[in-house]
Amino acid sequence: MGQLLSRLLPAIALVAVASTAPPMAAAADWELDLDARLVAVNGPPPLIDGGLGATRFGADQSGARIGRARFAVSQTFGEVWSVHLDASSWGDHDKVPVGLTEGYLQLRPYPRAGFRLRMKAGAFYSPISLENRSGGWESPYTVSYSAIDSWLAEEVRTIGAEAQLEWLGTRTGHDFDFGLTAAVFGWNDNAGAALADGGFTLTDRQSVLWGRVGKPGVPPVHAAEPFREMDGKAGTYGGLEARYLDRVVVRFLHYDNNADPSALDTVSHTVAWNTTFDSAGARFENSTGWTAIFQWLNGQTYISPGGDAERWPFKARFFLLSKRFGTHTLSTRYDQFEVEGAGDDGDGWQKGHAFTAAYSFQPEGHWRFTLEWLHVVSTSYNRTEFGNGPLMASQSQVQLAIRYAYEKGR
Amino acid sequence: MLALSLLGLAARSFGANLGVTLLLPNGRPLVGAVVTAQIAEAVNHPAAPVQAIMDQVDRAFSPDILVIPVNSSVSFPNSDSVSHQIYSFSPAKRFQLPLYRGKPYPPTVFDHPGLVTLGCNIHDEMLAYIVVTNAPFFGRTDPSGAWSADVPPGIYHVSIWHPRLREEATALEAEVEVADHSGGALTLHLKKPLKPAPLEGRPHSWDSY
Repeated sequence: MGQLLSRLLPAIALVAVASTAPPMAAAADWELDLDARLVAVNGPPPLIDGGLGATRFGADQSGARIGRARFAVSQTFGEVWSVHLDASSWGDHDKVPVGLTEGYLQLRPYPRAGFRLRMKAGAFYSPISLENRSGGWESPYTVSYSAIDSWLAEEVRTIGAEAQLEWLGTRTGHDFDFGLTAAVFGWNDNAGAALADGGFTLTDRQSVLWGRVGKPGVPPVHAAEPFREMDGKAGTYGGLEARYLDRVVVRFLHYDNNADPSALDTVSHTVAWNTTFDSAGARFENSTGWTAIFQWLNGQTYISPGGDAERWPFKARFFLLSKRFGTHTLSTRYDQFEVEGAGDDGDGWQKGHAFTAAYSFQPEGHWRFTLEWLHVVSTSYNRTEFGNGPLMASQSQVQLAIRYAYEKGR
Repeated sequence: MLALSLLGLAARSFGANLGVTLLLPNGRPLVGAVVTAQIAEAVNHPAAPVQAIMDQVDRAFSPDILVIPVNSSVSFPNSDSVSHQIYSFSPAKRFQLPLYRGKPYPPTVFDHPGLVTLGCNIHDEMLAYIVVTNAPFFGRTDPSGAWSADVPPGIYHVSIWHPRLREEATALEAEVEVADHSGGALTLHLKKPLKPAPLEGRPHSWDSY
């Protein structure tokens, strides 16, 4: 029932809005993105293909690939209500070829007396990433996301309601703005499963709603499905944001999916993963085109199916430096990540780091060309246990991403 | 008598020149600052209301600062293909105005003096200011940091405003005597550097989250 309800949620939201809102004030704005890749890669296959590769594509996938095909639509109802749907296909072996990465109803009243309130209901990203700031939750700096944001794309999504209250100091002569965020959500009781079993990756694949991360029947990740509700208990997060003019953004967020670690899903034979984490980040920009981003994540996930808890603490951080020269952008990023293994044998232990360098050319109009080199070095318990691979291995991926974007309105 | 002589000031020449020059701590000119001048110790009559335009071009307000006499009207034509939702919660004028494609709205009248900060409820990065003044003489400094007006002789109270100024309000006001033939001049050397300018040149898609 919960599963059915959850799948119908976006449709219910749409109908609810359409039936109660005043007549349409404006035509829908929509965007179509087509992103093709030329890839050269070494290393094992990615999680979705049953491997433990740390990059989006595995060795046998060198050549021309689909990066992403995306269609997003925004429709306003009256002045303050709007619906946003973001559908993508990643050209791989998920349950369905096309799915929603986000779909939500937003209430956006006009600011009053220096304060702005915004509310969302549906499925959407929590306000953590400072690099994935572009449409479709993509990074304008690199093709592959950081380890932190790759994990969020893979397993963490808010399916619930969120409120943001901001004090708009810069609109009243001050140098700062401050914001508070709070959310309640469900359908994220499996967040952490793929992290504990597959470790951190650096990818740009975003799990679609009720999609899967691994490959059915292939250990250790199996068909991990992060967006499940298993115990009827709501998760929560709360966050803070501070801005100095339009130059500096600082964010903090505490997430707790509040999953009952003893809950079992009798249909899928999976357990609930209790996952909590803290994240923090800062982004600095200046007038000469420089951007510096630091993000940090620290948390743990645990299961306790028979009363014996197994815990996987995890942490990751990255530093990104980017310089924009008109329509050209050069970016580099250094990632560090670690999943501490559970138990005495270190089941799931992974530790690694990654270098990313990217050059992006975005002329006026519809096209963007990005050339990226990504090199990941990691030590992984599961690679020896399940992948017949060495404990320590490195993996390189070079890709040229050619993207065409067409926007109507917006 | 002085006040009476100000009526219809736009049409006549007073023969005396009030000049104001604004210089930053590094010696460079402060461009685009709002200068207002009122006659000290006399009744001031605001300049005649005007019909001004605050356009929306490429997801930015144009101009970024507008200075108008009190009771002027401003139209917001929206030259973009995207919709905007203009608002102000400033005490001098609280309003909200949806600007959808192909749907013109009547001009908004600004009937109280003061600073009106404009934003867009859809595009958070959009920011502009309307300075509504009851001063008879006003304007913005040119690329050399200068503003001047043809005024009747007398003592003038001059005020300066710019969104990036960090100076105390008292440091931004001065009295200037304008003599019959030689006129009057004020050169203000600011002591504090400006706040950073808004960032430019990033693609709009960079501000989606």
